[in-house]
Amino acid sequence: MILSPKDKITTPQTAVIVINFILGTGLLTLPRSSTEKVHTPDVWISVILGGVIAIIAGVIMVKLSQQFPEKTFYQYINDILGKWVGSLLSLVIICYFLTTSGFQLRSMAEVLRFLLLEGTPTWAVMMIFMWVGLYLIIGGINPIARLFEIILPLTLILFLVVTFMSIKIFEIDNLRPVLGEGISPVLKGVKTTALAFTGPEIMLLLIPFMNEPKKAIKAVLVGISIPLIFYVITVVMVIGALSVDGVVTRTWPTLDLIRSFEVAGLIFERFESLLLVVWIMQIFATFTITFYAAALGLAQLSKKSIHPFMFGLLPILYIIAMVPKNINDLFKLGDFIGNFALFLFGLLPLLLLIISRVKGGKYETNT
Amino acid sequence: MKMKKWISKIGKNGKGTNKDKQEANTPQDTKYQFTDNFNLNLEMVRQEIGHNWDVHFREFNLGRTGIRSVIIFADGLSDKDIIDKHIMTSLMVDFSAEYKQDLPYIKGSISKDFIKNEVLTISEVEEVGSIKELASKVLTGSTALLIDGSVDALILGTTKIKTRTVEEPVSEALVRGPRIGFTESLVDNTSFLRSSGEIENLSLVQFQVGKQSKKDLVVAYIKDIVDPELVQEVENRIKKIDIDSVPESGYVEQLIEDNYLSPFPQVQNTERPDRVIAALMEGRVAILLDGTPFALIVPVTLSMMLQSPEDYYERWIPGTFIRLLRYLTVVLALFTPSLYIAFISFHSGLIPTKLAISIIGTRSGVPFPALIEALFMEISIEILREAGLRLPKPIGPAMGIVGGLIIGEAAVQAGIVSPVLVIVVALTAISSFSIPHYSIGITLRILRFPAMICAATFGLYGVILFFLLMTSHLVKLKSFGVPYLSPAVPYRLSEWKDLMVRMPLMMMKRRPKIMHTKNPIRKG
Amino acid sequence: MKQTHSNIRPLFISLSILLFLSLTGCWSSHEIEEQSLGIGLAFDKGKKSSIEKEVNEQGGSYSKKDLITATYQFITPQVASSTTKQSGPQQKSYVNVSETGDSVHQMVRELSLRSEQPVTGHHMKVLVIGESLARSYKMEQLLDQNLRESEIRPSCLVLISKGRASKTLESKKAGEIPAFRLAGIVENAYRTTRIFPPMSHIKVESKIQSESSFLLQKVLSVNGQVKFAGAAVIDGKTHKMTGTLNEEDLEGVTWITGKGKGGVVKSFDKETGQLIVYEIESMKSNITPRVKGNNISFDVNIESVGRLSENWVISGDTFKNEFLKKAEKSSEKEVKRLVGNVLEKMQKEYQVDVAGFGNRLRIEHPKVWKKVKKDWDQTFSETPINYDVKLTINDYGTSGGSKR
Repeated sequence: MILSPKDKITTPQTAVIVINFILGTGLLTLPRSSTEKVHTPDVWISVILGGVIAIIAGVIMVKLSQQFPEKTFYQYINDILGKWVGSLLSLVIICYFLTTSGFQLRSMAEVLRFLLLEGTPTWAVMMIFMWVGLYLIIGGINPIARLFEIILPLTLILFLVVTFMSIKIFEIDNLRPVLGEGISPVLKGVKTTALAFTGPEIMLLLIPFMNEPKKAIKAVLVGISIPLIFYVITVVMVIGALSVDGVVTRTWPTLDLIRSFEVAGLIFERFESLLLVVWIMQIFATFTITFYAAALGLAQLSKKSIHPFMFGLLPILYIIAMVPKNINDLFKLGDFIGNFALFLFGLLPLLLLIISRVKGGKYETNT
Repeated sequence: MKMKKWISKIGKNGKGTNKDKQEANTPQDTKYQFTDNFNLNLEMVRQEIGHNWDVHFREFNLGRTGIRSVIIFADGLSDKDIIDKHIMTSLMVDFSAEYKQDLPYIKGSISKDFIKNEVLTISEVEEVGSIKELASKVLTGSTALLIDGSVDALILGTTKIKTRTVEEPVSEALVRGPRIGFTESLVDNTSFLRSSGEIENLSLVQFQVGKQSKKDLVVAYIKDIVDPELVQEVENRIKKIDIDSVPESGYVEQLIEDNYLSPFPQVQNTERPDRVIAALMEGRVAILLDGTPFALIVPVTLSMMLQSPEDYYERWIPGTFIRLLRYLTVVLALFTPSLYIAFISFHSGLIPTKLAISIIGTRSGVPFPALIEALFMEISIEILREAGLRLPKPIGPAMGIVGGLIIGEAAVQAGIVSPVLVIVVALTAISSFSIPHYSIGITLRILRFPAMICAATFGLYGVILFFLLMTSHLVKLKSFGVPYLSPAVPYRLSEWKDLMVRMPLMMMKRRPKIMHTKNPIRKG
Repeated sequence: MKQTHSNIRPLFISLSILLFLSLTGCWSSHEIEEQSLGIGLAFDKGKKSSIEKEVNEQGGSYSKKDLITATYQFITPQVASSTTKQSGPQQKSYVNVSETGDSVHQMVRELSLRSEQPVTGHHMKVLVIGESLARSYKMEQLLDQNLRESEIRPSCLVLISKGRASKTLESKKAGEIPAFRLAGIVENAYRTTRIFPPMSHIKVESKIQSESSFLLQKVLSVNGQVKFAGAAVIDGKTHKMTGTLNEEDLEGVTWITGKGKGGVVKSFDKETGQLIVYEIESMKSNITPRVKGNNISFDVNIESVGRLSENWVISGDTFKNEFLKKAEKSSEKEVKRLVGNVLEKMQKEYQVDVAGFGNRLRIEHPKVWKKVKKDWDQTFSETPINYDVKLTINDYGTSGGSKR
């Protein structure tokens, strides 16, 4: 039940999962969080650099996992580091996925309560979301991948339409000069932007599900490049319309971008509803895949069926999501997760890769 | 992989039950076996079915030989013309005239072979040894012939085929396309399939379903194309059907579908032979049942349900346009009322200002919240639709128009609903009618009610979640091992030529990959 | 397969229970017809209306300093139904309510004490700020609540009124909605150079944040009629209004920024003293900052293509290029005058840069900009600016030749 052979996903599906994982809260907050650090209009360069870093990290993780194409991270970590350290590390990563999941849940609830459902209690908003997510992941990785495949084109089309509508208030001067203050401010923002690309770490778990694990590198490259394009478009459009100084003070700059114009004559006139549709779907994607990753981890750690863990994690997720007391706490939690990820998936895989290469041949005969 | 396992499991189960049945049947069979005593046989048959008023026993002597015999037939079911001309005449008149000299020879056990081979001018002749079998044959319109001195009874095919004229399919009307629809006769239906081009590989395998009233069922597929595993699976599921009677193919559909909890139909039904042929060519399997004009096609995908044969009969540009239009109607039928509720009750800020002002203007004075208002109108239009179906044909459409117009107009006048809602409801209704498949149309009509409730609880968010829930369900759903949403997901770009758009036939060279066909090339 | 079914069932049941439970909620639902759509807002210096005074006398008051009078223009369901249902509107199709108080938000909530349909701000189109208020309060203070809350969209326009802002939200014409009128006039920017590109809340906010001076369109009202007249100068340091540019000045600014989409230039022929009107088809302006050591200077190059749209010079033969050249020269001179006037005003009178010179410097010489950014308005007032105007007439409509 844990890994039955029918649960195979194709290479495009893997890429889609990575894309949907990456796109999440960052879509709304990245322009602000990165501009805060960079403070010049060159944020988009930081975003590209961040994406490149994410690609490197992603490739390292894939290389590591490809050493054990039959096993997920939770399983092979024991082979590399021994049972105790391995289990501990697995637990840490499970915690990471859980926290990410809870963070996405809470940000979604916050934006919704601010914009769409003023007055609806948070628990109701989150509860129904969690139930729908649970219903999806009970089916395993295959339905998840397929649902993501449906969400992605919708996201692509709606998001691009909505963003390009804002061309009306776009001013190229807001994006100039390029590198006016040199490269150093750009570098300051790279850490923030790289963190917006958390998501390739799912490759640690996906390789054994792939029907062609050899093509994992390709999947991760595509999987990061598309969000990269998304993010660059977002940052360029937001800063182009709101200017660097205008972006810094907005809590959800992308939403404000869409709210800052009206196109009379089109049926909609106001497009934030479309953006929110896209965004909720993306949050749903990130939420479900992290939820699944955590449940999978617990199941493989305890070598039991995954379903009880899925149900059992629901209340835990709820509690995690409710921990931040206000929106500043929420952003702090986001930063914390980011730093956590930086260590876990930036440095650790490299170390593990080296260790496993050094120990090398021992496992190849085993697996 | 899993499917294979599953199949083998069913196979085992199937075998098990068969054995059980055989064991149970053997002692009974001896009791109902014919003996060489003619009177006893006759008495036994009389006991078995003689109490039926429509079963007639006609006793006579063969020729003028004095050999007693009897024919048993059911009035109305069997063709008296055949009985008179081909049975009675041969046995009584011709017999005596031509075969008198051989009389001694026909006495004894060979007689029935002689009669079968030399006397009867009937194409279908069968021998049965048990009264049970005889009874069931007679009651389906065959004529039984018992002859003194012969242990077995002869069953003569005299079933009167009551056919209606072939009509245009009622449930799937087309502007362009063959005007032939299936009828209630299985023989006719299979002949439609056979006659629609000489398909040498068309296999029609017969099964019987129903414990009490047995019916013929034919599984049709094209041997050179279909995936044998799929045929095996279909046959296994059909063998597993264990029910008293199967009045309509809907029973079969419900008994073989994958997920009975799903609101979505997982088997396609059709009245159109051309549609069945097209499906067979894609490597699908069709199931035809006696007594119903609705054939079943498995496996299906959602996109198939939204296609009409006409998409292919028209040229590709209109075909594509109409198909896109149909996808739009699906979205409209599902989500317009719920979006109306979401925007009116929750997100008045997301409506264009001028539109908002006019909506406010028309809605001021409406005493109900949008949900109640919408439910009221949607339910009444559903009632109207149902009433229109039940009413005699000349009145039906009039009823629809009168009811729709008058109720709508009066409700607006009375200030119970707003005119905008009437537009919304009308749009929904029209959209759901334009879906070419009645059963998927019903599904969408039903699903929009939960969508409305979601919208009334969480506004736009509720609608999105409903969409996600529905999609989550759809991605899990399979029809005979084929993902319900293929080829949309998993991505099969090469097959998207025939998904939302209908590319020129020149470009559609391959059969659907998911069907694992033996011969993937459709067009060279 | 059996297993998935047994899993689905409890999930289905609990989901439906949850659905029905939540149905009892409908927490955030506010039917559209139970709200009044706020479409326009005006801020003035505190001055109570007669109704308010009477209300106060009868005890309907709370502790406040009466700093601001906010006038809300909204469309109530009653008004909306009367305008949509009858053949033509007989009465005013809007409702104006004034409320005096200190906090912008508190005043909105006070309104709920006076009407059964609360005002929502989702459809707010314009915010008009009275000149006297704009001179005494910082922009960001006035706009803070609007920008912070989710209701008023950042696309809502900001205007400054000469005189009381509430007057601009009044109209005597039946069926006319003043807020829409104001928002609609802004759209006419393609017909005249005297409309400043619309400044929405979000644009104002980014200007405030960047600490640069900027302009806001000014509007004046007489007896229920309004006119867009010039622009208000908002100082980048104090964020208060410091002065006014008149219509011609605004035209000059439009020429300098090159952002005009259309309009006319009226000039008089040098020899005959007759009228020549040039209609702008397109306009382009290049501001080139030149930095030499510590000295900054600007070159402004304005180019425009257009047509001769009105010609009173009887002898002028438009089929001859000489005359067209003459007309170009004459119009160029007029544009130069406009530009010169406004530069004088910006540099000498108000000492602010509202035409985007600083922005050009930032783009082309970011290092220099960093140094002078702090006191830019001061630096700007001492910067030499050279400007050159080049107009090209490529068309003269359907009547040509001389009128003789």
